[in-house]
Amino acid sequence: MVMNPNLRKFVRTAHITVAVGWLGAVASFLVLAVTGLTSPDTQLVRAAYLATDLLTRYIILPLSLVPLLLTGPVLSLGTPWGLFRHYWIVVKLLINILSTLILLVHLQPISYLAQVAAERTLSSADRDVQVQLVAAAAAGLLALLVETALAVFKPRGLTPYGWRKKNEELDLSSSSDIST
Amino acid sequence: MSQSPIKPDRQSPPGMPRWVKVFVILFIVLILVVIALHLTGTNIGGHIPHMP
Repeated sequence: MVMNPNLRKFVRTAHITVAVGWLGAVASFLVLAVTGLTSPDTQLVRAAYLATDLLTRYIILPLSLVPLLLTGPVLSLGTPWGLFRHYWIVVKLLINILSTLILLVHLQPISYLAQVAAERTLSSADRDVQVQLVAAAAAGLLALLVETALAVFKPRGLTPYGWRKKNEELDLSSSSDIST
Repeated sequence: MSQSPIKPDRQSPPGMPRWVKVFVILFIVLILVVIALHLTGTNIGGHIPHMP
């Protein structure tokens, strides 16, 4: 099913807005996580980890799920691009799934540090978890930058499924040309 | 002299592009690095300490 141009523009606008918002939110998370790991100011560190929890729950998590479950599939399946026809879309989808899984795995450490920050000053026992958040945020940011580059450059390459569908469409159009 | 355009061979689908192969290799290397770090005990991050 191919969407009409106005609906397609609307979904594309929503998709780009959400994806860019996700990128910005993860960059903000990284700044807070680095601040929490490196700042000597204990009050600032506690504030940073309380902020990371809010940022994750109300911005990053929803923004990660919308393009994965809603705008991405709708935009792919509602346009001739398809979801599994081009390698760049498949790779983007896999990065998206992996990033969201990594985010879900890190919800617990994020809420743990926020809980600690709400009650007391962080100790050296929390250091590993603090490093973990910086590493995860940096990896997430890199993955989202790669995704953005893939969406802009759209590198060539049809999957075997995309190649088959293209041939089917070519056969269909040539047979309809002959019949007219 | 007119030549007919070369039609792609429809029997065999095109191979995986080089950039996809690079992505696959990088992904495998990343997984191996993570496994190696875990096996050597050089864990990035770690377990969550128990709340007092």
